[in-house]
Amino acid sequence: MLESQGTALGSRAERLAAARAALSAVETRVGTSRQAGDRPRLPLDDLLSELLPEGLARGSVISVDGSTSLMLALAATASSQGSWTAILGMPAVGVVAAARRGFDLGRLVLVPHPGTQVVEAAGAAVDGMDVTLVGPRVALSEADRRRLASRARERGSVILAAGPWAGAHTTMTVERSSWRGLGAGEGRLRERDLSIAVAGRRSGAVRRVRITLDADLTGMRAAATRVAEEVA
Amino acid sequence: MSAPAHARGGPATATRRAVLWVPDWPVAAAARAAGIGADAPAAVLHGRGMVAVSAAARAAGVRRGHGKRQAQRACPELEILPYDEGRDAREFEAVAAAAEEVVAGVEISRPGLLMIPAEGAARFHGSEEALAEALVGAVAEVSGHECAVGAADGLLAAIMAARSSVLVPAGRSPEFLADAPVEALSLAAMERRQREGVEDLVSVLTRLGITTLAQFTALPAGDVLARFGPVGRWAHRIGRGEDVRPPVLRRSEEDIEVAYEFEEPAERVEQLTLVAAESSRRLDEALLAAGVRCSRVRIAARTERGDTLERVWRTDVGSRAGAFSRHMADRVRWQLEGWLSGTANGPEPAPLTSLSLTAQDVIALGDEQAFLWGGASGADSRAQRTVERMQSLLGSDAVLAVREQGGRSPRDRVLAAPWGQEVPAARKVEHPWPGRIPDPAPATVLPLPEPMQVLDAGGSPVIVDRRLALTAPPTWVRLQADPGKARAAAARRHPAAGHLGEEPTWGEAQPVEAWAGPWPIAERWWSADASRRAYLQVALRRADGGPALLAAFSAGQWWLEAIYD
Repeated sequence: MLESQGTALGSRAERLAAARAALSAVETRVGTSRQAGDRPRLPLDDLLSELLPEGLARGSVISVDGSTSLMLALAATASSQGSWTAILGMPAVGVVAAARRGFDLGRLVLVPHPGTQVVEAAGAAVDGMDVTLVGPRVALSEADRRRLASRARERGSVILAAGPWAGAHTTMTVERSSWRGLGAGEGRLRERDLSIAVAGRRSGAVRRVRITLDADLTGMRAAATRVAEEVA
Repeated sequence: MSAPAHARGGPATATRRAVLWVPDWPVAAAARAAGIGADAPAAVLHGRGMVAVSAAARAAGVRRGHGKRQAQRACPELEILPYDEGRDAREFEAVAAAAEEVVAGVEISRPGLLMIPAEGAARFHGSEEALAEALVGAVAEVSGHECAVGAADGLLAAIMAARSSVLVPAGRSPEFLADAPVEALSLAAMERRQREGVEDLVSVLTRLGITTLAQFTALPAGDVLARFGPVGRWAHRIGRGEDVRPPVLRRSEEDIEVAYEFEEPAERVEQLTLVAAESSRRLDEALLAAGVRCSRVRIAARTERGDTLERVWRTDVGSRAGAFSRHMADRVRWQLEGWLSGTANGPEPAPLTSLSLTAQDVIALGDEQAFLWGGASGADSRAQRTVERMQSLLGSDAVLAVREQGGRSPRDRVLAAPWGQEVPAARKVEHPWPGRIPDPAPATVLPLPEPMQVLDAGGSPVIVDRRLALTAPPTWVRLQADPGKARAAAARRHPAAGHLGEEPTWGEAQPVEAWAGPWPIAERWWSADASRRAYLQVALRRADGGPALLAAFSAGQWWLEAIYD
């Protein structure tokens, strides 16, 4: 008796869930519901999931202040899984650093000096690329930025901007970065901790997140082998 | 495979073929490229040993596998030439073309070795002797190389026949092979990896007491496969005089090329637009008429001063109607503009006198295969169109594709080229590059290094002395003033602030938290682009932690190379 009721309830709940899923699928296909939450997401490194708990949603604008590495890290996993990336107005971006973070350089387009045509170039990039990185010193007015953001929302691409961007969905500001590994003349740069203030457009409160961006895996590997030797 | 087949019976699958062999091909090709006569003692060095030795050098006692010193001791006047597989293949093209004057289709097995279907050609020339004579004559006359020709049934027998310039009568290959040593098996291996496997097999066989092919092929095929795996089976079949695969013939075809001669040398960009469109259209038509498409196009031009300019562009447009000629016209125009304006690297700009477009990587229409699963994805073609759009907006040089290449400093390790242009890497990424800046790589690499100051605790400059040591521990760092902060910079430029003459405007001195270095790197000291630098990693002490810097000391001054931000 109880069992039969349970299965009936279960089947009812299942049927409801299936109906809701079908309805929402139709809504997204037709385009009646335009919530960022419904959008497909681009893959993101697990390390950064604390920064963006909802993931790298397509159609969003993220402003990053104070760290080029963080911008590259945000886009790297998507690039490694087949997304196209354009980098506009960042003539000094470190390509080797991008490749080490996992960028597929075959799907990376660099426009170091877009100059006066930056609006058209950025528009084209937002139209055709999955992720567009915009440098800090590009000649984009507030109105241009609003237009680009709405274009990104429409096309489902992600804009990662260095420096402030009014109306960004998420604003990340690096408050403190500290490198480890250097001494007085010896060692090398190994690991870096970033303290990041994350402010969302929806969520009013500012969250402070601390991540280790360049975890030194060689040291860990050496330690692991040492432990293994001790065990053996 | 039935049991009697491995007995002395005639091989089941063996084609009659002639083989044209140029002795010591890598040396012959290298000597020709270096302008050395064929009778001079020469050898090609690869890695630690000689891979090929010329006849004169062999007479003097130089052998394959000798090290450089050993070879020079045997023959002091020996010319040691670099190893280059690409050069070997390119030079051999001339020999293949010469052979094709005599026979219709040839197969290049490896540079230095040509397979020729013997039956039809021998009938045409009257006999195999006549064919061999005609081949040797044509190769000597057209390409200037000496070669030997032999004919037999089956691959190995034919190669061995060529090496001793004999024509083995039909059906006699097994006897011809029987007394050959097992070392001969490695002659039939066409690539290096395979040859190494065969050489291992041969050394095992020799130690087992099997020295001739007859002894080896007398073993049961199943046992050979069980003991030696696929290499053993391959060797067993080859050793019996069989063919493992039928010969693949090369079809020689004319390049699809469009040439344009300017009536008077073109100096202005406007003259070129129409020419670019017209020659692209003609190339498109030529490709269509041949029923093919190409994935690369070589654009070559000749200037009034006699320089030849050449560049290869990729064309990933598929077979969209009309798209190819438009796409190509843009690229041709950009390239010609680049050459005329002198922005592209190369010789000094000069008016152009002729232009030619050559299709490369030609495949038959409908044969193109972009991906293993499915066609080019929608996102890829969309991105390609976007890149084309950006190139038409900003010019081809403004949109870059990047690759990693070898090098030590972060800047050297990147190869950037206009999107779609094929540029060979100057330095190989696989090489070890000792002394390169360790990972993590900096996220900001300045396109041009900026001057900076590294100061000791007392505020006087720190330098790297002749013994590659720092004169004092670095305590303060001064970067150039941020151009955004004009007022602060102006104040510091005032003579009252100690500013002198042409010096850059320095920002405030920042304390150093920790540092590592100096790491000296002396590169290419033998050449004109030599550089001697010492690198220093510096972490700044700021309220927000601050980024780390990569500084380089060169020519008596510190330069800011990269920022770990």
